[in-house]
Amino acid sequence: MKKILLPLLFMCLFLVESLFVEYLPDQVFGQNWILVPRFLFSTLIFLTIYTGKKQGILYAAIFGLVFDVVYVEVIGIYLFLFPLICYLVSKIMHLWHDNFMIAFFVTICATTLLELGSFGIQHIIHIANLDFIDFLNLRLFPTLILNAIFLLIFGYPLKRYFEKYAARLSGE
Amino acid sequence: MPQFFSNKRLIILLVSMIVLVALIGFSLRERNRPSWPEQFVKDTTGWVQSLVAKPTHYFAGLFSSLHELENTYQENKELKSRIDKLASLEAEVQTLKKDNQSLRDTLGEKQTLSDNDPLPATVIGRNPDRWTEMLIIDKGNVNGIKKNMAVVTATGLIGKVKSVNQFSSTVELLSAMDPKNRISALIQGKSDVYGFVQGFDEKQKLLLIKSIPAGTTITKGQNVITSGLGGIFPKGLEIGKVVDVKPDQYGLNQTAYVKPGADFYDIQNVIVIKRLMTQPQVSQMSSGKEEDL
Repeated sequence: MKKILLPLLFMCLFLVESLFVEYLPDQVFGQNWILVPRFLFSTLIFLTIYTGKKQGILYAAIFGLVFDVVYVEVIGIYLFLFPLICYLVSKIMHLWHDNFMIAFFVTICATTLLELGSFGIQHIIHIANLDFIDFLNLRLFPTLILNAIFLLIFGYPLKRYFEKYAARLSGE
Repeated sequence: MPQFFSNKRLIILLVSMIVLVALIGFSLRERNRPSWPEQFVKDTTGWVQSLVAKPTHYFAGLFSSLHELENTYQENKELKSRIDKLASLEAEVQTLKKDNQSLRDTLGEKQTLSDNDPLPATVIGRNPDRWTEMLIIDKGNVNGIKKNMAVVTATGLIGKVKSVNQFSSTVELLSAMDPKNRISALIQGKSDVYGFVQGFDEKQKLLLIKSIPAGTTITKGQNVITSGLGGIFPKGLEIGKVVDVKPDQYGLNQTAYVKPGADFYDIQNVIVIKRLMTQPQVSQMSSGKEEDL
């Protein structure tokens, strides 16, 4: 039971993101914001920080691929970006102690990096025609606020769970 | 400062970049069907999604009906006034339909461009990455869904089927930025004007209808429907109402800004429309290049 809990958690987040967008109304607080839930990604970063690089990158690759196949229909974007950013985060976290506020800050930075990366790729393959200023105002800042709220609510339980998971892994 | 990328890492990064480009190229290719591993993954997640989606739809419906209860009195008043007109309108439609049928019989034309076969479906997911607006619905190949079929809600056209799996399929919304997304549209007025739905204004949330000839006059509030001339959609699906008209860059054409009739957000149930009129075969269509005469 304990073994399937982690994949189940990610699967739930994977579905919750889609449901969140499905029920999101046209305008939030009267603004034309494009709110993008990056709950799955934030949790992957937390897994990388608190459990380990290996688990983080493995789950990032698997769920990046599934995300691409099911939602985006262009294979490669998140399959590439998720593990790459997880790797960078694991390198950066070597420098600092894993304090919760630092983890929070790093996750927000990672989300920014992910949004910039996906913006770049979408721009190259001509799916997006949002210009950069609109991207920042309409998409990036609201998205960061949304994900910050998610992390403030669920960050601490996630940290506790992943630390326990890491302890269990090293105990085996 | 620790080294971020050692030599080995750098090679891994470069190789994965090449794989990335190859994979993106592979998936952007014009494909009739996703490959079977993709279909398998999509159908499996689709099954799980439909398990989750149905109860959430139920609760969301309960919640919104509570919300609607607030202004029931006002709405009821307005609807009552409308319903009086409805009876006479219905009678008129009935006679027109009969008229149309008998005229068609004398002409010997059995099928029209607007003949269609509706198939209801439930939305079980939506692309959370929001670069391309796509929905996942719970009907697939086994239910007779084919690529490029029109998808509507009660209030108007929302998009077309982008890819079909066995038990689920993906719908691309009109608001998605797909340069291949072109729908032949008809602006209803004294004389009909044709154009293409091409693009979406993200800021104003308006559809753009391009390639309208410069000489025609279009006024605010005119209805826009599908023309059925594209060969794939049936005629008469509502798209929206004209809000604004502007001449294009060179002044040869006009662009109409259309407020879509359908809400592209918070969609729970859709109807997939199958066109009954025969479709042109791909082999009969020209490649788009000019031919020597």
